[in-house]
Amino acid sequence: MKMTGIIFSNVYDTSLGDLTMKRTVASLPFGGRYRLVDFVLSNMVNSHISSIGLITKYNYQSLMDHLGSGAEWDLSRKNASFYILPPFASGVTNVYRGNLEALSNAVQFLQSNKPDYVVMCDTTVICNINYKKALASHVASGAAVTVIASRDLRAYESVDSDLVLTKDENGKATDLAIGQDLGADSLIGMGMYIVERKFLLSVINNYVARGRYSFEKDFLLSRFADDSIDINVYEFKGPVLRNHSILSYFKNNFRIMDEEIRKDIFSSKSPIYTKVRDEAPTYYADTSNVNDSVIADGCVIKGKLENTVVFRDVTIEEGAKIKNAIIMQGTVVGRGAKIENAILDKNVTISDGATLIGGSSSPVIVHKGDTI
Amino acid sequence: MIRGKSKECIAMLLAGGQGSRLKVLTEATAKPAVPFGGKYRIIDFPLSNCVNSGIDTVGIMTQYQPLELNDYIGTGSPWGLDRNFGGVHILPPYSQSGKSEWYKGTANAIYQNINFVDRYEPEYVLVLSGDHIYKMDYEKMLRYHKEKGAQCTIAVLDVPLEEASRFGIMNTRDDDSIYEFEEKPKQPKSTKASMGVYLFDWELLKKYLIDDEANPDSANDFGKNIIPKLLADGKKLFAYQFDGYWKDVGTIASLWEANMDLLDPNVPIELKDKNYKIYARNYAEPPTLITKTADINNSFVAEGCTVKGSVKNSVISTGCKIAEDAIVISSVLMPDVEIKSGAVVKYAIIGQESVIGMNARVGEIPPEGDGANKEICVIGKKSVIASNEIVTQ
Repeated sequence: MKMTGIIFSNVYDTSLGDLTMKRTVASLPFGGRYRLVDFVLSNMVNSHISSIGLITKYNYQSLMDHLGSGAEWDLSRKNASFYILPPFASGVTNVYRGNLEALSNAVQFLQSNKPDYVVMCDTTVICNINYKKALASHVASGAAVTVIASRDLRAYESVDSDLVLTKDENGKATDLAIGQDLGADSLIGMGMYIVERKFLLSVINNYVARGRYSFEKDFLLSRFADDSIDINVYEFKGPVLRNHSILSYFKNNFRIMDEEIRKDIFSSKSPIYTKVRDEAPTYYADTSNVNDSVIADGCVIKGKLENTVVFRDVTIEEGAKIKNAIIMQGTVVGRGAKIENAILDKNVTISDGATLIGGSSSPVIVHKGDTI
Repeated sequence: MIRGKSKECIAMLLAGGQGSRLKVLTEATAKPAVPFGGKYRIIDFPLSNCVNSGIDTVGIMTQYQPLELNDYIGTGSPWGLDRNFGGVHILPPYSQSGKSEWYKGTANAIYQNINFVDRYEPEYVLVLSGDHIYKMDYEKMLRYHKEKGAQCTIAVLDVPLEEASRFGIMNTRDDDSIYEFEEKPKQPKSTKASMGVYLFDWELLKKYLIDDEANPDSANDFGKNIIPKLLADGKKLFAYQFDGYWKDVGTIASLWEANMDLLDPNVPIELKDKNYKIYARNYAEPPTLITKTADINNSFVAEGCTVKGSVKNSVISTGCKIAEDAIVISSVLMPDVEIKSGAVVKYAIIGQESVIGMNARVGEIPPEGDGANKEICVIGKKSVIASNEIVTQ
């Protein structure tokens, strides 16, 4: 039994505001050295999925630069196929109204692929999952669709688009709603689905032509409501980090310091791959003082860091004090600068002595390349 | 026939030596594959030098414990050396009709690979060794070789006179042409030490390799045989002065010192240089986690580590774990080492995947003195030091 992977790179672009002004959600940096797409792509590769299509619509230049030929994920092989699927010039021209509409980009890709099953994923939900187990559950259930869902409510913040479900002891969905309050038995969808490839093609064909564009709302919910399909629920039990808003993204970056979460998500048996940048190891000067932080390669740390995620090639000068911050690649924080509750995008320059303080639930964001 | 255009210059990297002076570190690992500087192997330096100098064809002659080195090199893609024509090639000794033998010496290693070199029809061959840490643009050396009309150019480094007797010394005329080569002279006449980097006109070298092989009394060595013979025959040999950092890391003390040099801002070896990267094979490790109990001073820490203890003046490689209340001072941890709580590691090199047990003590502060006298404690690969154990040697 083989699977094809489909990844949606843009669907949630609007909910992450400033961070996705010039990039797709998929290429949003996360956790010190990754982009969101790395997690789902690595999960697919670690589940031996070797034909993967990544659906994009706009702003995908940074994504293409990051992914290249796919070699870092071992996808640049004779018997692997890894495609970035930009939209056809005609057809729908605005932002996708939903993932089903986005799938119309992938029709040719799906038609030309041989595997019987398709796993479809957003890039907003981070976890370390083996899709082979989910597929086995799908096949055993005989259901039309498997929804991958979780009960992990640590740091959970509900959003309107959440798929809330309950299931019986056989895994069959017994209730299904969008944006509903959680009950004691509720699971929350992870934006990951398994369907039979030919069935998916027929769904795309039937629904998109009739102006229906959401896989969850227009297909799952309506078919569940009129009881015309069986839905299987595969419960994923590991840690799940959902990045559906700037705030949840901000908080989740710090959650990877939790050793249980770190051990699970960065399991050495199913590693998370990313683009290699050949940076030197990070240098910690005598003046550095680092507490509860995650730091990538190629940095020079001379200042004080607390609860901070530092990406590659960042310089923190002497006397700088940084707390609760995400500092992306190539950023320089000058001497004596004070930063709290902030997201500094790539290649930002914070001048000597500058102060930048955001709220703990409303971090201040400095745009890519800006100087403060 | 191999199709493709010829190469002007290719590199032949001697990686077959046992490196016995590195003791336990090279028991199961060829010296060029010994970890260095947190995320590198020694061989990353000459390989990256080749790539940064525009040399895209490198033959690596291996012989001793080649498995780890072969794995590490792989297709050469981490260095961009997976090429359609050229690229990196591992060249172990092989049996040929009528005879089969190991590489008898440095010159013999290249002699046995004459066919490999010939298929690129190079004008020049650069001979390198896999046990030096340095950043050098070989392209400049090649330009110098051509300008001087040399037939062989040897890179040299100015060393203090009192240390000159530890090196192969080139005695030169005013125009930098070499008239004499002395291996470890008692009374050095010059301070120009050979760096083990040779550039030859291939046609000439090939002839000398063939002649040398025919001489049963020869040790088949560049320093002992080929260079003296070229000089005796009046060939044009020139010394090319190199001014940067260079270190032979053939001993425990020098390997430790070279790692410590990375931490010294006054030593001109900079790893973080966008215009001259040292490439290495990267493994998918998460960024390093540093907890509030950690205290890190003047140290390099690579990715994939978890640091909860105290680290000072040290180089911590990829994937190491340093527990709370553990102390690491002036030491080198190779990849995937675990230092358990309460353990103290001082002036030591800890081999890959070793575990230092709780409250164990490894190494001691060496007596004051010059580098040669430092007693650095070495723990071999995959060793386990039991809780409370004390190891000083």
